[in-house]
Formats: sequence, C-alpha cells, structure tokens
Amino acid sequence: MRFIYFKVCKLTIKDEFIANAKQGKILARKCKNCNDLNLVTVYFCKKCGKREFENTILDGNGVIVTYTIMTVPPSGFETFSPYAWVVMKLEGHNLNISGFLANIDKPADLPIGTAVKIIDFDKRGLVLEKR
Amino acid sequence: MGKVCVLGAGSTKYGKLEDSITDIALQASVSAIESAGIESKEIKSGYISNVFGVADKQVHLGPVIMSNLGISDKPSLSIESACGSGSVSFREAYANVAAGFYDVVLVTGVEKVTHTGTEWTTTYFSYCSDFFYEGQAGVSFPGLFASMARAYITEFNASEEDFAAVAVKNHENGLLNPKAHLRKKITIDDVMNSAVVASPLKLYDCCPFSDGASAVIICSEKFAKQQGGDYVEVIGSGRGGSPAALQGRDHITTIPSTKIAADAAYKMANITSKDIDFAEVHDCFTIAEVVDTEDLGFFEKGKGIDAIRNGVTKLNGQLPINPSGGLKSKGHPIGATGVGQVVEVYDQLTGNAGERTVNDAKIGLTQNFGATGASCAVHIFQSV
Repeated sequence: MRFIYFKVCKLTIKDEFIANAKQGKILARKCKNCNDLNLVTVYFCKKCGKREFENTILDGNGVIVTYTIMTVPPSGFETFSPYAWVVMKLEGHNLNISGFLANIDKPADLPIGTAVKIIDFDKRGLVLEKR
Repeated sequence: MGKVCVLGAGSTKYGKLEDSITDIALQASVSAIESAGIESKEIKSGYISNVFGVADKQVHLGPVIMSNLGISDKPSLSIESACGSGSVSFREAYANVAAGFYDVVLVTGVEKVTHTGTEWTTTYFSYCSDFFYEGQAGVSFPGLFASMARAYITEFNASEEDFAAVAVKNHENGLLNPKAHLRKKITIDDVMNSAVVASPLKLYDCCPFSDGASAVIICSEKFAKQQGGDYVEVIGSGRGGSPAALQGRDHITTIPSTKIAADAAYKMANITSKDIDFAEVHDCFTIAEVVDTEDLGFFEKGKGIDAIRNGVTKLNGQLPINPSGGLKSKGHPIGATGVGQVVEVYDQLTGNAGERTVNDAKIGLTQNFGATGASCAVHIFQSV
C-alpha cells in the first residue's frame, strides 16, 4: 500500500521519512541479506553492500546518547532558544538518530540516558521531546 | 611510484585580511614559488582548494590563479572538501607527481570569509554537515563538536578545564608564530569564563573564522635534487572516510576516517605512530585535538586527555602537537588549513620555524579533516 502511494504521489523517500516522523515513527531500511538496519536515505547496505531492503517502521522511542545546548544558534533558529540538538539511540535497535529538542537550557535538564521520543518533523528538522 | 618532495612553502598571515581571495591566493603561491627557487613556468599543474569562493565573488579559482602566475596554459583543479580541502588538494597533487604525470606542481589553499560576518559563516559552514539530519535540525559545527565533547566527558571522566588546557597550549605556541591569527596568551580561567557557544564548548574552545592562504611546491625527488635547495620528502599519504552524520558512528568520540587515513599513511611510510616527532592536527575545537591524538595512535582511547594534563603535547613535551598554534590560535581559513599544516612541517624540518622549532625533529605528521571528520587525510614527512 505504501509502495503504491509512493509511486502514485511521487513521494520521495525523504518525504516518506518525514511523514512517518510526524507520526512519531522512524522509517528505516532493513537489509534483506544481513538484516542490518540502515537509515532510509541509504542505497546500499552499510554492512554487506547489498541493495535489497524492506522498509521498516520503528517506534520513535529512545535514549540520549549525547547532546549539546545551542546557545549560539544558526540563522533561523534564534526564536527557538533555548534548545538542544541530540543524538538518540532507538530503543531495541542498533540505530542512532539525531534531532531537535526544545526547552533545554542547562545540562541538568538532559542527563545522558534520558528517555526521549520523536514527535514531529518541521522546519526544525526531526523534533523530539522527553518522555 | 616515485618519491615526492616538498620543495617550497609559503603562507599569508591568517586572520582578518583586506585583500581579495584571488590576491591572497597569489601572495601565498608566489611565496611558495620563491621559497622553492623555481620559475612559475616550471609548474606543470595547479591544485587549488577552497570552500566558499562564492563569498568573495570568485569560484573556478584554478585558472584565475594560473593566469596571474603567467602560466594560463597549465591545467588546474579546484577542490572542495569542507575544512579538509587543503589536504585533499595536497593528496591529489602528491598522487599525480608520484604517478609521474607531472614533475613539479603548485598546491594552493585559500579562504576569504570574515567580511561576511559570524552569522553568515556559522550558517554556511553548517552546510558542510549532513544537512538533512544535522544542519536542518539547528546544530552548528560548534554544536556537533560539543556533542563529541559531552560524550567524551561522560565516557572518560574528563572535565571542561581539561579541554581548556588544549586552547591554552595552542595559544602559547601561536604566540611564537608571526602569521598566527590569535596571538594572545590565555589562561584556563579565560577559557572557562568565555561565553558558552554550544555547551560544553565555550568561545575559547573554538577556532576563529579566518581569512588566509597557504601554498607549497611539490616535485619529484629527481627535480628536488637538481634544484639543490631545502626540501622534505613525503613518506606517507593516506585518506579515509566516516559516516557523514554523527548519528551513523559506532563511537561518538572516535573519528573513523582519521584512523583509516593514519593506518594507510603509516603503512606506506613503514613506520608506526611512535616514530612521529611532532604533528599538526585538526583542532577546530579543543575536543578535536584530544580525539585526533587518540585516533592517530599517539595515545590510547581516553588517554589523550592525560597527555594534555601532563604537558606531553606542549612544544617542549615528548610529542609536540600543533607547534604552529593549530587551528585554534594560528587560525582556520578552511580551504587553506590543510596546506598550511604542510607549510608548518616544511618550516619545522628545514629549520625555518624560529622560536617554535621542535628540537631534533626528523619526522612530522599532518592530519586534516572535513566537517566532523567525514573525510580525512594524513600525510607524513621526513627531513632529508
């Protein structure tokens, strides 16, 4: 069904990734040869090099691997301060994903290992919040 | 493959420069040509590295530089590989000379961005990240390296003061370098009290945005011997890659491309990391120097911070790192930096480094990467 939608509406794979992120999910590619999980923007498996994948929709729950609090934000992000940019590890999977996390202004707000989830994708990219 | 030598080297001062991108590129090129003691007509090809020429209204820099050197008929290659552009350019030049296509070539790296202001530069530099996953989500380069620093602090029990010591050391070295951008002695307190840019990194943990150009002449061993002046031999050259986005890396505190490039360079030179007398490494942020010295094999993972604490990497330490002042103090004109590192090694190994000379140095290493180390090149040089 998803495949047909993709063909008919000419959604790019990034559009599909974004549509899933808006539902709190991560669209990833599972290698049919070695089962390795790859980001959806990848064309060949990073582990075995094959290019036969099946799309997999993962729950957007994870924990903080590392982060920074962007005190001096790039152009366009001034109005979003204070915020953090984080790398999270998806729960139950060997896959990290990074994104935007609002309302963080000191390290005590976000210890490594904090539980987070994906909630949206907008002009701030992939948006997360604490669980 | 034939042996390849660096026959001459030159740099402009790094900092906020008034002249145009073309002018500073030419100043460095002419300086390198004079240092090599050759005529421009002996150059067979040019390798020109630059990232944001568009900021000073000049891209396709190669032919413009060659034309103004009076050799418009000679081919050139303009190269972009983010902050690692200079070393990629050097590598392409090296490979072409080693393969015998040319006997003498010019490598020039240049950047001119300070006139655009901090907001423009921060934003445009973020385009060097894997933008869909990183820049688009509001992270800058200080932020990406701050994420590495946070992971390092957590994993290895390091402190922000430890990173500050890298800045203090590199400023001490830069004070001895007349061409350095930030020639100013600083203290741990200065770093700790500077404004936070991206926690845990503060302003003094970050290299400056710089203008500047560096150039070298490289040639076959046969040409170098005939020429008769000072030269150093390139004994190792390696390149490597990493996942472009930090999220794709198994360990946030390791840059895979550095390890791959270093392994290749050590293998070619038939030496190990223990044989290196000093190194110019990519310290765009203080955390980067610590990670670099581990990935290059100088120190075990997590021990790079001890080397800083114990003064091992100071100019008079067992393994001086960044005698030039590094990107932190010498400055970081991103298209020029990788070439500028080679200029420093050439100056060190030919006795032209003045007060910052590393004692009894015979073998020097350069390591220069693009973005958060998505691409990296390592070169090893030996005095002759």
